[in-house]
Amino acid sequence: MDAITTSVIEVAGLAKRFGTVTALENINISIRQGEFVAIMGPSGSGKTTLLNILSCLDTPTEGKYILDGIDSSSLTEQQRTVIRREKIGLVFQQFHLIPYLTALENIMLAQHYHSMPLKDEAMAALSRVGLDQRWNHLPSQLSGGEQQRVCIARALINEPAIVLADEPTGNLDERNEDLVMDLLKQLNREGRTIVLITHNPDLGLLTDRIIRLSHGHLEDVLP
Amino acid sequence: MFFRLLRQSFLAGRRRKVLAVVTVSLAAALITTLFDLSVDVGDKMAREMKSYGSNIHVVPKSEVVHAGVDGVGYNPLSGRDFLDEKSLVDIKEIFWRNNITGIAPFLKTTATIGPRGAVPVIGTYFNHPLPLPDDENYRTGVTLINGYWNVTGRWPRDDASDEALAGIAVAEERGLSVGSRVTLQGTAGAATVVITGILSTGTDEDGAIVAPLAIVQTITGLAGKVQSVEVAALTVPENELSRKAGRDKEALTPMEYDLWYCTAYVSTIAHQIEEAVVNVSARPVWQVASGQGVVIGKIQFLMLVVTIAAFLSAAVGVSSLMNTTITERAKEIGLMKALGAADWEIFLLFLSEATVIGLIGGLVGSAVGSGLSQLVGLTVFGSVVAIPWIGLPVVIVTAVFIALAGSIVPCRAIARLLPVEVLYGRH
Ligand SMILES: Nc1ncnc2c1ncn2[C@@H]1O[C@H](COP(=O)(O)OP(=O)(O)OP(=O)(O)O)[C@@H](O)[C@H]1O
Ligand SMILES: [Mg+2]
Repeated sequence: MDAITTSVIEVAGLAKRFGTVTALENINISIRQGEFVAIMGPSGSGKTTLLNILSCLDTPTEGKYILDGIDSSSLTEQQRTVIRREKIGLVFQQFHLIPYLTALENIMLAQHYHSMPLKDEAMAALSRVGLDQRWNHLPSQLSGGEQQRVCIARALINEPAIVLADEPTGNLDERNEDLVMDLLKQLNREGRTIVLITHNPDLGLLTDRIIRLSHGHLEDVLP
Repeated sequence: MFFRLLRQSFLAGRRRKVLAVVTVSLAAALITTLFDLSVDVGDKMAREMKSYGSNIHVVPKSEVVHAGVDGVGYNPLSGRDFLDEKSLVDIKEIFWRNNITGIAPFLKTTATIGPRGAVPVIGTYFNHPLPLPDDENYRTGVTLINGYWNVTGRWPRDDASDEALAGIAVAEERGLSVGSRVTLQGTAGAATVVITGILSTGTDEDGAIVAPLAIVQTITGLAGKVQSVEVAALTVPENELSRKAGRDKEALTPMEYDLWYCTAYVSTIAHQIEEAVVNVSARPVWQVASGQGVVIGKIQFLMLVVTIAAFLSAAVGVSSLMNTTITERAKEIGLMKALGAADWEIFLLFLSEATVIGLIGGLVGSAVGSGLSQLVGLTVFGSVVAIPWIGLPVVIVTAVFIALAGSIVPCRAIARLLPVEVLYGRH
């Protein structure tokens, strides 16, 4: 098929070593535009390492990573920064909101580094995650689930093509887990590519495809 | 957004920022104080040092040769040239008259007192009126120029015809004390005086009777005459130009001459005295005059060293505070990078914080420092220090420099910081 032309993420023969530790070895993945993919595997299997490379926060030791047609190994640090802010939205397990900025300001900061802060758009993103009433609250005044929703609002504010989430529900209870998954599903329905790391098999089932890692190797790709 | 970010992040780290501001303002205060003082200290110091002697020795031209030979020998006065007491006023009429802080005429002779032979007698002004065209009430004399003259008892009155001081050595040798009555038998007359005080100077005057000028003029028959004049003046330190003038005034270009003439070098003032009073030779007393310049120069150098030390230590203080801040905020910096912030945007945030610290520290420090220099002025010099307003921007700019200098090194850590290393805490 035309899988090559429509794939946003293309990983070939990729390896990542930290000194003598091999975190990833011979990874080949192709993710199409608009896919919702879960990465699963035991702790230490290299999931975060892979996601960091996919989000251009890190570089592979070996192999190729082609993002939206651009070979990331040929990019400088600055160019990777630009790619990150133009194409990628990040959701973290620990939320990483700036503690002295309000919910709204945290979202506007992402706009600021991307282009320019627009209060109305930031407000709209907050109401999408159901937190427009809480715009003026500091992260410390929000629950974990609420903080994660702010983090998602921040990830989507610049309309990224790809959203990468590393155990976004790892610190949340079931109800918040559902809320967050609903939001990710919605984003996916809008056509965004989503890559989700999770330990929860139930969440994995909600996605189009599961990539399973074990000891840094690709085990199998379902379905 | 940037200013909101700056404001919020500044307020969030308030405790550490306050510490940084305190560090910078301490240095700024020190620098302000030293700046204020070093601008003012030249004058203040020179005034202070008046207590250690006069700058210029004025004698009749024909006496220059003798003076070199006899020193302070009290040779017979016959066949000598004298200055007119009236011409003292002319000395206070020169271009740099306002820098002349005191004038004291001297007339030296010997007189026999009692059976044990002659003692030196010095006539001078203690605190004598010298009406000037622009200051009717001007008074001058050794009490104004010789701060190191120490009197036990009281000073004689200049207009008294029967009061004098006894030098401490003479007093011991002749058994004189306050209240003793002695008759001074001079070459042309005698005067009976009461000793009002015992003088100790540590120099030749200790071995002499020091009396009002008029008494000595009477016993020597030299009415209206003086032998030499000591002039105390505020001067600026010698430099290349003044030394060149000292070697040969003819060698100066007209422009150099004007510059020299309009600067209060001790040689300029001596030259102007020679112009103002006929037939005199005015010689800087170099030991004292150049000593003042050297001491002031040394003190200003010392202040410069202390200023640099304050600058460096404050910068080091700011640097360690910045270091901790950056380590503490590593996650935040990592996040900004992950969101796509360029390094310079993060530098800008931290350097702006440093600038704000510098501005506040500079302002606070200037205020505190000005107060401090007044305190030093009042306690050390007994007078207020003129605050040079040019100091304010200088100190504020310096304070900002301190804060920035202290931040540059820690900020380099920002560039090295990798988001992957801080965003995913490894457990
Ligand atoms: N910077 C690093 N230096 C050395 N070793 C590293 C580094 N980063 C990751 N590793 C190693 O690489 C392997 C994969 O780590 P990674 O964090 O990707 O695992 P993970 O699948 O995300 O695990 P978890 O489910 O616990 O988050 C581990 O053995 C880890 O110790
Ligand atoms: Mg992980």
